[in-house]
Amino acid sequence: MNGVLLVAAREFRQIVTTRGFWVMLLVVPLAIAVSQVAGRFAAPPLNVAYVVADATGQYAPAIEHRIDLVHQGRVLGDLSAYAKRWKVDAAAPGAIWAQGRRWFSAPEVEAFVAAGGLAAAQRAIAPRLAPDAPAFTPPPAPYLPAAVPAGVPTDQGPGRFGDALQPWLKGDIATAEGRRPLALAVYIPANFGAPGEPVRMWTNGRPNDVLIEMVRGELTAGLRAKALRTSGLTPGAYARIEAVSAPVVVSAPPAGGGREQVTTRSLLPLALVYLLLMTVMVTGSMMLQGVIEERSNRLLESVLACIRPGQLMYGKLLGLGAIGLTIIATWVAFAMVAAFAVHGAMADFLRPSLASLDQPWIIAALIFYFLAGYLIISMIYLAIGVLSNSMQDAQAYLTPVVMVITLPTVFMMISAVKTPDGVLPRVMSWIPFYTPFAMLARLGGGVSLVEVLGTTAMLIAFVAVELFLLGRLFQASLLRTGQPPKLGAFVKLMFQTQPD
Amino acid sequence: MRGDVPRRGEATLAALVLDHVVKRFGDFTAIDDLSFAVPEGGIFGFLGGNGAGKTTSLRMALDILRPTSGRIEVLGRPPGRENAAQLGFLPEERGLYRRMSVLDTVVYFGRLKAMSAAAARKSGLALIERFGLGEWARQSVDKLSKGMSQKVQLAAALVNSPRLLILDEPFAGLDPVNQEVLEELVLEMVRGGSTVVFSTHVMQHAERLSDRLLLLSRGRKVFEGTQDEARAELPRKLSLTSRADPKGLPGVLTATATGKPRDGWSDWDLALAPGADSADLLEACTAQGFALRGFEIHKPNLHEIFLHLVGHDQEIVK
Repeated sequence: MNGVLLVAAREFRQIVTTRGFWVMLLVVPLAIAVSQVAGRFAAPPLNVAYVVADATGQYAPAIEHRIDLVHQGRVLGDLSAYAKRWKVDAAAPGAIWAQGRRWFSAPEVEAFVAAGGLAAAQRAIAPRLAPDAPAFTPPPAPYLPAAVPAGVPTDQGPGRFGDALQPWLKGDIATAEGRRPLALAVYIPANFGAPGEPVRMWTNGRPNDVLIEMVRGELTAGLRAKALRTSGLTPGAYARIEAVSAPVVVSAPPAGGGREQVTTRSLLPLALVYLLLMTVMVTGSMMLQGVIEERSNRLLESVLACIRPGQLMYGKLLGLGAIGLTIIATWVAFAMVAAFAVHGAMADFLRPSLASLDQPWIIAALIFYFLAGYLIISMIYLAIGVLSNSMQDAQAYLTPVVMVITLPTVFMMISAVKTPDGVLPRVMSWIPFYTPFAMLARLGGGVSLVEVLGTTAMLIAFVAVELFLLGRLFQASLLRTGQPPKLGAFVKLMFQTQPD
Repeated sequence: MRGDVPRRGEATLAALVLDHVVKRFGDFTAIDDLSFAVPEGGIFGFLGGNGAGKTTSLRMALDILRPTSGRIEVLGRPPGRENAAQLGFLPEERGLYRRMSVLDTVVYFGRLKAMSAAAARKSGLALIERFGLGEWARQSVDKLSKGMSQKVQLAAALVNSPRLLILDEPFAGLDPVNQEVLEELVLEMVRGGSTVVFSTHVMQHAERLSDRLLLLSRGRKVFEGTQDEARAELPRKLSLTSRADPKGLPGVLTATATGKPRDGWSDWDLALAPGADSADLLEACTAQGFALRGFEIHKPNLHEIFLHLVGHDQEIVK
């Protein structure tokens, strides 16, 4: 094994034995696992109860129907995605749930319910479902109706009603699905619609704007209908008007073509930018400590008697690169397991991202930009290590360097998420220190081949120049003693041909 | 000054050759036209005060530094890492990877010197045992005492059984017991056929170990040769106790009375003229009936030789 590989292996082993490495290695898998567990066991119960005291006897059923319709819309949406995922949409090609997830209009949801709803769909799906497919779990109904508790008067005005309900608003109330927190109580007076007769609502203090808005919308619709009827409109004409709805056709894009898929496809490259930043900062710091240890320990002389400074430098970079690849490989492996062997929200989130890696050139580009970015930043860390006598010295260099790297990168990423082809990401794609970050961030949104090839050539040239200068710095600085050099001396060290 | 430098291409058994070597750091000349040759086998002492240029010379031999001009040969080849397999080096400034185990450290350096993993391990374990560190072989270096760490570094220098062992101030920081262990080890290496070059500013070690010496002062060679040759550089001195003034005796350069006469006998310190021999002087005293009560030949030590050749402004230790 030559000197470079020996140094690389030693660096690799040294970093692998640190606690920091293992913490970093396990942070992503842990995050995935926690999100899985949290999604399964720690999801906050969303369903709450509501009570309607309707002195008119006209509005309560309509409110209940509207709230249920919204819930059935969500069931339909999730069922459509499930049918697509487990390829059971062919069980009933004409069914509304077999057409992929999209926006569904109220009449379409009504039709789904009228056709037997979830139960009928599951009956159709069951014979075609793959053995390893999990059972479909419908989303819980967010709002459950509850009967007015015994002892709460509904015929003595809103004041008494509200007072009597106060204890219930602080606790749970019986519903068809068990006891649930009472989130909203509605009192509709007998002469609702007359001036000075508002509908009164009491909440349990938590935000339930959606529920309140649904109740208010249904009451408004009722009042409008009443107004139309009293204006002389015949019941038949009113029924026709009410049946009128804006003819809207919502077309879902083919997979990979719409905004949702673009965002999903962008996840992996964007995630790589974050991971690159995090990995290179942490492992770079470890290497920095290693170099400073070698310098401050004075053990460099023993090493340099056996191998050239260049071999030491390449070995360190190679070892650090191996650390970076190990981390990324571990994270990707965990993500694959989570995506394809586990079910749940995280899996549904990761699967399309990993599925986007379906072309070799995309994988090659991702790996190239990641490694180039890793190398470019690692070399900066290595240079700082060579120039510093202690971690205190290193911090003086490191703080501005980290700021200069991270701040523009974060701004660029925000910009790239909104507009992958925006000015900032495009300009930063051609500034070598930021090129890997900018190109990774933009890859998900699509980048021209010219830009990919151009930035690749530029990065290769830049890495070569950086390696050459770092080599000079290594040769000149490894055994240097005294104060770290100022900027002028630093430049001189890099460019002098014959080190003192 | 002695010590001929073999010419390029000349058949030689020199382990290390420096031929008109100059090393400058900016405007400062650290090594000034230095030439010497270290014959294979034996122990070569590299003496000089702080800043004399010892470490710089050794670093150039190891190709850690490049000379500004001049020629260097190590085991018949130019300096370079290609020689690492046959070299052992113990630097003045000691340090080890703190989190590496003792055995891994020695094996790592063995592998850097082109040894196979198995050979480095076997040799490393033997050295670790020899230095009494067997129980610590798998402990990390940061758990060792300073003396133990120095032994580990020495083991790392010796793991490849080097033909040429370069020790830069090897006794610095060692307690007397470990200094003795190191001295014994150096002698053993030489008995095994290795050449040892060591730098020091402690004259005692050089005096006990060196077959040949090189004295450096401000980057320039002031002497190269054996200890006897070094002593010959100084006027011979002796002390005697006589009734008469010895100034007139043959070969006496100076004679200084020390103390007051007692019962007619006086103590004298004598310096002999160059080329004069103390045995001839004793014979002349007997022949001339010059009454003597004491006659003691003073053998100069390296410290005195150093001061004589280099001067008093160099920092050295007796």
